[in-house]
Amino acid sequence: MKGSVIAAAAALGALAVAGCGSSSSSTNSAGGATKPCVASVGMEGPLTGPVAVLGQEQLHFAQLAVLKDNLVNKTKISIVQGDTQLDPKQATTVTQQFTSNSKIVAVVGPAGSQEVLAVAPLMSRAGLAFISGSATAAALTTGKYPTFFRTVSKDSVQGPQDANYIINNLHPKALMIIDDQEAYSTGLVSAMVPIFKTAGIKVDHESVSQKLTDFSSLVAKVTPATTVVVLPWQVASNAQQFGRNLAQQHKKAVIFGTDGLFSPGTFSINGSYVSSFGPDITAIPADAAIAALAKTKYGNFGTFGPPVFAAQHVVDEAIASVCKSGQTPSRANVLAAIKNTNEATTILGKPIKFTSTGDVVNGKFFLFKIDSTGKYQLIPG
Amino acid sequence: MAFFFQELVNGITTGALYSLVALGFSMVYGILKLLNFAHGDLYMVGAYVGFFVIQWFGGPSALTIPVPLLLLIMFVLAAGLVGGLGVAIERFAYRPLRDAPRIAPLITAIGISFFLENAALLLFGAQFRVYNTAEFISLSSGIQIGSVTIDSVQILVLVLGLICMVGLRELVNRTKLGKQMRAVAADREAAEMMGINVNFTIAATFFLGSALAGVAGVMGGLLFNQVTPTIGFIVGLKAFTAAVVGGIGSLPGAMLGGLLIGVAESMITGYISSTYTNLFVFALLIVVMLVRPSGLLGRAQLQKV
Repeated sequence: MKGSVIAAAAALGALAVAGCGSSSSSTNSAGGATKPCVASVGMEGPLTGPVAVLGQEQLHFAQLAVLKDNLVNKTKISIVQGDTQLDPKQATTVTQQFTSNSKIVAVVGPAGSQEVLAVAPLMSRAGLAFISGSATAAALTTGKYPTFFRTVSKDSVQGPQDANYIINNLHPKALMIIDDQEAYSTGLVSAMVPIFKTAGIKVDHESVSQKLTDFSSLVAKVTPATTVVVLPWQVASNAQQFGRNLAQQHKKAVIFGTDGLFSPGTFSINGSYVSSFGPDITAIPADAAIAALAKTKYGNFGTFGPPVFAAQHVVDEAIASVCKSGQTPSRANVLAAIKNTNEATTILGKPIKFTSTGDVVNGKFFLFKIDSTGKYQLIPG
Repeated sequence: MAFFFQELVNGITTGALYSLVALGFSMVYGILKLLNFAHGDLYMVGAYVGFFVIQWFGGPSALTIPVPLLLLIMFVLAAGLVGGLGVAIERFAYRPLRDAPRIAPLITAIGISFFLENAALLLFGAQFRVYNTAEFISLSSGIQIGSVTIDSVQILVLVLGLICMVGLRELVNRTKLGKQMRAVAADREAAEMMGINVNFTIAATFFLGSALAGVAGVMGGLLFNQVTPTIGFIVGLKAFTAAVVGGIGSLPGAMLGGLLIGVAESMITGYISSTYTNLFVFALLIVVMLVRPSGLLGRAQLQKV
């Protein structure tokens, strides 16, 4: 225990030093402010519920970012947590609490695209900037929601990227694609199906409720010619059950999951593919300190945390820059500062700059294959 | 043809689950004229009992006892504990309202449902609990007829479901307790005047109905692997539909309704589209209600005027 505390302290020190060195805009430091730079940031995520493991990871990385940024910028930013359970109704309730709390100047989250769709009008009306580290639906950044930003790429990038990988590398003659009746899933299906059809692949499009747990009837429809089943889902344990149903009925089709299924330990069907909006930061040398600290404090993590770290960092830097300019952080000036974000290097191993509609410039997705031990192996390229 | 039989097997397996839960619905309705909306949540509690039994004996990949013994303990414990919970619910939530207007126990049942869901949320957390059945019952075991696969868990569910249904029918038709249950269902006051202990009979009915839901919960856990505090809602809804389609209050009707709903779901998914499964299942309910308002095997109630 003592050893892990020392390791965490050492990593935090290294992180602060690294943060000082790599802080993109030196003007962001609030160290010179005459009064303390104090602000609250809301953090919306599925902290409990079916995907709590992802929400907790997001929360942990948001906390790490605040820890680091407060140290580097000499700010006093605190996080106000809001549990959405990946449910738009719950996200709406949390957002109403946040918008009525005048201390909150920006929000990190929510996690799901359907939640963003539900809360965006409330956030816009309140002039509250919110940055998601995992909402990827293309419809979110059409310019309709002027206070929305994201640190990950979008499904109109993921859909074609995944579809083209399947066509060029898995060469299916026929495939099944199953949406889970949520905005995230149907959006991806809409992006992928035309590409498959153009490539001459026979597509069986199915649809199931996210609450369904018995896929045996659906699996029975997987013909020998159907060599790939595409699951743009968000509940990894459902995909695991789907894989088991495939095995039960001796079906050999390969599962291809989108980023919502990226959950090592939960979805571990051998030979399956999963794409992810986040990189494996343990493979990025510049992230060694933060990766070590995260592992020491919270244990193993996946790809859901780092984009939220980046989102929280953007907010923290915006607040610090506002303070440095002599103003008190407010929703309006923090929103303006976020719009001007220009991070040269980030935890994601790439710069962060937003388009006028809130997308990250030059976003991309990463692809992993699950091996026989359940580990996710990054596919280069 | 193989595809048809595969879907049939899948449908009958799911239907067996619905039937067991529907039986509880029907038993309670038959004896109290109460729609016990908390019944689906008893299924959820049963699934949790099964999960914790697996953990208690070392977890799915490191079991300290033989699998048949584990299964026996899971089913017996789930039946006993969930049956006991059903009796407690009847004693403390429904009995005080037995002579109240029918809306009162109905609202109470919905309240009990929320209470059970949230109690599970508080006690066990919201995260998925996974049986990992494949770790102790091989996926490759079972029967293969041509390209139709019936795995061991499906066989277990089908056989046990059949035993429960036949056992219940025999109990209701051939035992003294069964006769008491039928008497109370026919006319509670008359049964009391004939010396039947009505409170005991109703409690026994709740025990049996809830125990079946507990057994179904373990079956669901073994089949579908996942347990969360909210899994009872959908199963409860489907079982309620099954009970109504079969004729609520009729035990053979509940069995038939459950199997019908399970097979219909499977066939619609297989031959039409999974997108429309619920649409067709509930359309089936509406059609049955229009053609036979008392359900397929239900009897129309005559009312003196």
